[in-house]
Amino acid sequence: MLHVENLTASIGGTPILNGLDLDVGSGGVHAIMGPNGSGKSTFAHALAGRDGYEIDGRATLDGVDLLDMEPEARAAAGVFVGFQYPVEIPGVNNMYFLRTALNSVRRARGETEIGARDFLAVAQEAMDLVEMKEDFLHRAVNAGFSGGEKKRNEILQMAVMEPRLAVLDETDSGLDIDALRIVASGVNALRRPERSMIVITHYQRLLDYIKPDFVHVLVDGRIVESGDHTLALHLDDHGYADFVNHDLDDAPERPLSGAAR
Amino acid sequence: MTATSTAEHQEIAGLTYPTKRDEAWRYAPHDVLGQLSFGLSVGSARQLPPAFDASISALEGPRIVLINGVVDAERSDLSALPVGLRLSTFEDARRDQPELLAVHFDSDVDLSTDTFTALNIAFGSNGAVVHVTGGHAIDVPVQIVDIALPDETGSTSCSGVVIHLEEGASATVVETRIGDGDFGGSNTRTTISLGDQASLAHIVLQDIALTQVHLGRVDATQGAGSVLRSHLFNLGGRYGRVDYGVRLAGEGAKVELTGLYLGMGNQVLDQQVTVVHAAPDCTSRQSFRGILDDESTGVFNGGIDVRPGADGTDAEQSNDNLLLSDRAEANTQPRLEILADQVACKHGATVGQLDTDALYYLRTRGIPEAEARRLLVGGFADQVVDTVDNEILRTWITERVRRHDG
Repeated sequence: MLHVENLTASIGGTPILNGLDLDVGSGGVHAIMGPNGSGKSTFAHALAGRDGYEIDGRATLDGVDLLDMEPEARAAAGVFVGFQYPVEIPGVNNMYFLRTALNSVRRARGETEIGARDFLAVAQEAMDLVEMKEDFLHRAVNAGFSGGEKKRNEILQMAVMEPRLAVLDETDSGLDIDALRIVASGVNALRRPERSMIVITHYQRLLDYIKPDFVHVLVDGRIVESGDHTLALHLDDHGYADFVNHDLDDAPERPLSGAAR
Repeated sequence: MTATSTAEHQEIAGLTYPTKRDEAWRYAPHDVLGQLSFGLSVGSARQLPPAFDASISALEGPRIVLINGVVDAERSDLSALPVGLRLSTFEDARRDQPELLAVHFDSDVDLSTDTFTALNIAFGSNGAVVHVTGGHAIDVPVQIVDIALPDETGSTSCSGVVIHLEEGASATVVETRIGDGDFGGSNTRTTISLGDQASLAHIVLQDIALTQVHLGRVDATQGAGSVLRSHLFNLGGRYGRVDYGVRLAGEGAKVELTGLYLGMGNQVLDQQVTVVHAAPDCTSRQSFRGILDDESTGVFNGGIDVRPGADGTDAEQSNDNLLLSDRAEANTQPRLEILADQVACKHGATVGQLDTDALYYLRTRGIPEAEARRLLVGGFADQVVDTVDNEILRTWITERVRRHDG
C-alpha cells in the first residue's frame, strides 16, 4: 500500500533523511521509533508535502506517486498526518474547518459534498470517540486548546477524514495519562483492514496502548532495525545506544511555530 | 449641490487644506482631496442603484436616509418608534431640541487646522438626531444611512448625526456610509453624548464607491459609568477615513473601539483615534485590524491621552495588520501622553503576512491553497466582526465584509 524507497530529504543542504525504505501493508500498524533529531518528524512532513525540503526517492500510495503532489492532493489521495504541534488558527471555527476539509477531499475525488446536518452526525460520532464536548466544535481551530485537546482534535480530524494512511507524529508528546488513554483508544477504534497507520514516537509508552504489528528504528534518517513489538520493549530497557554510533543529541526538535496572532 | 460662493463658503474661504507635513494627514492622497468640491446640499435627482434600496431595507427598524446631505423622507422610517426613542431630522430638532444641535455645532475641534470639520459645520446643515430619554433601553437598531451621489464637479456632501443617551439609557445605532457614481464623496460628523450609566453600541460601516472619498469624524463625550462600544468597518473609497475623538469625562466610563479595514487596489484607509482620559478609573480599549492587498495603504494613528487627575486609568491599544501583497503598506503610530498616577497603559502593533504554517496545516487537510487563504483571511477579519454582540447585525456585517475580503 505505502511504498517508500530510498527517500532522502534535506533542508538548506543539511541532509535529514538518508535513504529511508519502508513498506506498509493494508491494515498494518507500524511504529517508528528513534532518538531526537533522527528525522521522524521530517518523514511525516515529507509524506504530508511540506515546502522547504529538497526531496528525492520514491513514496507511493496504492501505486500513486505522492512526492509530486500538493499537500491537498495527498489528502485527497488518502494521506492524513496528525502533527506533533498542531497549528492554532484563531477566527476559524473548528466545525466549519472540519466540514470544509471533508468536502474538499470529497470534491477532489468527484464525490458529492456533505450537507451541514449530515455532517453534524459525522462530527458527533468523531467527538464521542475522543470524548469531546460539543462546544469544542464551536471554538476556533486549536486556539487556546490545551496540549491534550490539540492532540484529541487531530484524532477527531482523522476520524472525520477517514484516511487510507494515517501518520501520527508524536501523538503522545505532552499528554497526561488520561489524555493518552483517550487518544490511544480513539486511534484503536479507527483501525480498519483497509487503513494503514504509522505511529511515530520517541517513547515506548504509547505502544502499551496502541499495539503495532511492526516496529522500526530510525537513526540518522535511515531505518536501521525492524522487528515486532518486542523491539520496542528492548528500546525501552536499553535506549537507542545500541543503534547509534555517536553521542545522542537530546535537544528537542524544532516545533512548528504557532499561527497565533 | 451648488459649489459656488455662498455666504458660508466665503467665511471659510481662508482655510487651507492639510498637507503631508500634518502628522494626521501624512498618508492621505492630497492630490485626490484637492479635487473635491464642497457646497450647500441640494440633494440629487439621480436614481439610487437598486442594490442600495435592498441594502437599506436589509435591516429592519427606524431609520433616516440622507442623499447628498438631504433627508430622503420616502426612504426614511420614523413610524412606530419605541417608547423612549426620539428620532428626528436636524430640521425638526432645530425647532424641538435646539440644545442637542448646539453641542454638535459648537465643536471643540480647532477649525483653523481641521478644514474638513469646518466644511462640515458650514455645509452639514442636515442630519439625524437619535435621542433616548430617561433610562429607556432601545432594543431595535437605529439606522442612519448617508448616500453620496456626486455630480461631475467632484461634489462632496456634508451631513451630521447627533446621538444623545440620557442617564441610564441604552441603544444601538448603525451608521452606513455608501456612495455611487462619479468622483466625489461624503463628509460626515457624528456627535455622541452619553449620560451617566448610559450604554451605546455603535457601528460605522464605511462602504462608499472605490472611486470616491469618505471623510468621517466621530466625537464622543461620556458621563460616569457610561459604556461606548463602537465598531468601525472601513471598507470603501479611494480614501476612506474616520477620526475618533472620545472624551471619558465621568468617573468609571468605558470605551471600546474596534475597527477593521480591508484595502485593495490603491485604496488608502485611514483611522485616526484619540481617547482622552479626563476622569479617574476609566477604561479604554482600541483594537484595530487591517487586511491590505495590492497597493493599498492602511493607517492607524492611535492616541491615549491621560489627563492630570485621571488616576486609575486602564488603557490598551492594539493594531494588527495582515499584508497580502508585497506592495501593500501598513502604517501604525501610537501616541501616548500620560499625566496621571496609577495608570495601566498598554499598546502593541504587528504587521505580518499570512501564516505559512497555518496554510500548510489547512492544505494537509485537503483544503486547496486559494480556499485555505480565504479561510485564514476570513478568520482574521471575523475576530473583529465577532465583537458585535447583536446577532442580526453581525450577520449583516459579515455579508458586507465578505464582499471585500473574498
